[in-house]
Amino acid sequence: MTLRKTTAAFLACAIPLLAQVTVERILNAPKEPQNWLTYSGSYRSWRYSTLDQINASNATSLTAQWIFQSGSLGQFETTPLVIDGVLYGTGQDNRAFALDARTGRAIWRYQRSLPDKIQACCGMVNRGFAALGDRLFMATLDAHVIALDRKTGNVVWDVTAADYRAGYVFTGAPLVVKDKIIVGVAGGEYGVRGFVDAYSTETGKRVWRFNTVPGPGEPGHDTWQGDSWKTGGAPAWLTGSYDPELNLIYWGTGNPSPSDYGEERKGDNLYSNSMLALDADTGKLKWYFQFTPHDLHDYDSTQVPVLVDEDWQGKPRKLLIQANRNGFLYLLDRTNGKFLQAKAFGEVTWAKEIDAHGRPVVAPGSAPTLEGTRTCPGALGATNWFSPSYDPQTKLLYVASSIECDTFSAAPQKYHEGHDFIGSVYGPAKGEKTAGAMRALDPLTGEKKWEFPYFSPPWCGALSTAGGIVFGGDSEGNFIVFDARTGKDLWHMQLGAAIYSSPITYSVGGRQYVAIPAGAGLFAFALGDK
Amino acid sequence: MRVFLVFCCVNVATGCLLGQAEKKNPVTGDATAIREGSSLFRANCSPCHGLDARGGGRGPDLTVGRWIHGGSDAAIFQTISQGVPGTEMPANPFEDSEIWALIAYLRSLAGAPQAPAGGDVTTGERLFFGKEKCATCHMVKGRGGHLGPDLSRVGAARSIAYLIESIREPSKELSLGYIDPNNHYGIPLDYDTVTVVTAEGKRLVGVAKDEDAFSIQLLAEDDELHLLLKKDLTEVRHERRSLMPAYSTEMLSAGELRDLIAYLSSLRGEGL
Repeated sequence: MTLRKTTAAFLACAIPLLAQVTVERILNAPKEPQNWLTYSGSYRSWRYSTLDQINASNATSLTAQWIFQSGSLGQFETTPLVIDGVLYGTGQDNRAFALDARTGRAIWRYQRSLPDKIQACCGMVNRGFAALGDRLFMATLDAHVIALDRKTGNVVWDVTAADYRAGYVFTGAPLVVKDKIIVGVAGGEYGVRGFVDAYSTETGKRVWRFNTVPGPGEPGHDTWQGDSWKTGGAPAWLTGSYDPELNLIYWGTGNPSPSDYGEERKGDNLYSNSMLALDADTGKLKWYFQFTPHDLHDYDSTQVPVLVDEDWQGKPRKLLIQANRNGFLYLLDRTNGKFLQAKAFGEVTWAKEIDAHGRPVVAPGSAPTLEGTRTCPGALGATNWFSPSYDPQTKLLYVASSIECDTFSAAPQKYHEGHDFIGSVYGPAKGEKTAGAMRALDPLTGEKKWEFPYFSPPWCGALSTAGGIVFGGDSEGNFIVFDARTGKDLWHMQLGAAIYSSPITYSVGGRQYVAIPAGAGLFAFALGDK
Repeated sequence: MRVFLVFCCVNVATGCLLGQAEKKNPVTGDATAIREGSSLFRANCSPCHGLDARGGGRGPDLTVGRWIHGGSDAAIFQTISQGVPGTEMPANPFEDSEIWALIAYLRSLAGAPQAPAGGDVTTGERLFFGKEKCATCHMVKGRGGHLGPDLSRVGAARSIAYLIESIREPSKELSLGYIDPNNHYGIPLDYDTVTVVTAEGKRLVGVAKDEDAFSIQLLAEDDELHLLLKKDLTEVRHERRSLMPAYSTEMLSAGELRDLIAYLSSLRGEGL
């Protein structure tokens, strides 16, 4: 993107440019902060914006500008994209829409006709689009990948990725890398065999697939007992990150199936609960790092990997940071997957420590039993799919965290295709009050710099900006602005329903907006008129 | 991925049979079916009915042989497959064989002893509204206080063992309160004792009807609602115990307990 174009985009107020989204623009997304071009704001997944019109000194005058109603109940989990004055979002039940980002008025709406009996463990949700050229890409609950025309919402192509009747669904936003879109499948509660796919943005043709559970003859296959690999799970249901210099895609994987019962899938169960580094062109595995081998507590490792270049032990290093559901904040070398450090960022009882090679030292007695075993973190993890944010000004990672321990029970369960396959059940430990927090962590030391307490476990991620502020929210429906350095709550507004998404920011006509869904509404805020 | 499973409550409110009267469970007493039913129950039903089917926060005890919507195989089949309209019991997309396995499992649990028996309902009612002051906090069909759970249907929803435990050891398992329908993974508030202290030093004790990071809506011992901002409070303490006193044998004799239980068991929500 040239400087001239950037300026032009800034100046576009009444008439959006509707320019093409090029690969170059996505690579340089942080240089056009008026837009939000990809799920995490940039390939390095900082969910950070250089916009600073809304800042620590004026956040108290934030005012609702418009509210868009999706027309559906259920969790509204989208991260909208904003491209040259138009906001593109996905909704519950695979709805989608394009809005005038200044007024909230709809330009088009799309609703996919879904078959009955979709097996989506955690709601009929979708987390957003990817965009390239004049197209938007969505991965659907019935396991299709589709391309829509940006101006009309018309379907351009529609391809089948997997069989939804066997429990395969898509809930995450795709990632555009060069001429491909990358998507990962969900279904770890239904005994699927997970995969990460790449499709041609032009034709929808599948270019490669990486099976997250290795088949016979492939490396790692021997980490599965008998035929357990066939229903081994390891879904890849969130959006990864990309390093263009290394041409590597970083994509996290989820739990082995059944999640609570491991007696019939003895072994490390590769590549469940791992970070995968895949060659963007071929899908070949460059390296992997498994956070929680032979998981028994649903500690998916799908959380968004954050790519940061910082000195580590005196030398510049290409780092990958992940606040993992298992309660540890990890630092890896993203060139080779080498483990550097893991520090607990919440209460952890399942592991005594992470050893020098990155392998957990599992605490005796932490495995689920028939009667139930209390373990921390609980199954929803110390954090979950909602995004963290990395602020280069404070060099802090903001992580919405859950404070919950669960009682995990285990029992054998027969696999039936398309039925849940969990191996019993878990739930909050009896008599204990659950809670949550927004936490500011130094990713290099693991040190907690501040914490703002939430009443219950959150499902809203973080957005940090050059205004010295962090946006977050809670499951009681409060959308909140924090001082990035101190954690002081500067402003909040009750939106009337739990927030299940992570905020974004953009600007139109020189005015900065911040957008967040809650309930059936997508809310946009800006500073009030002076 | 976090799972909040489909729950299957089996005897909550009034239902009807739709031509299922002839159905008989082909696998009653079959050990394999009971085992499969147990596994299905844990994964699907236990979030509401409890791991051992003795009742959870939302679903009733299924071990006591009291089937509000009919106790025949066909009636229970109907309740599981179609749910109970107007209650929290949803329809469940099980295959027929799975429902029969579930029923076989539930039948294998039934028949828990129902001691103590022989209490007097009228005496129990007198105790409830009189000497034992239960109605100070609990309401039955519009009569009584607001602080504790409404007990108009408690006899239909809870086993006698549970009722006895709730009287003798009320803090052992706190009853659940407000469920936010817009918070899909939310855990309901419970009847936990909350103490707050205002900036002026005023202390209030009660239960939270709702609460978030910034405010609390407290129903206090004075039976009044106190709508408070946390910035005006110096302390908000969750005590993780019930406000209800534990009724020892000195406060409530074994005979009085029998009468009170007889009264509570008679409360089935008729006329509501």
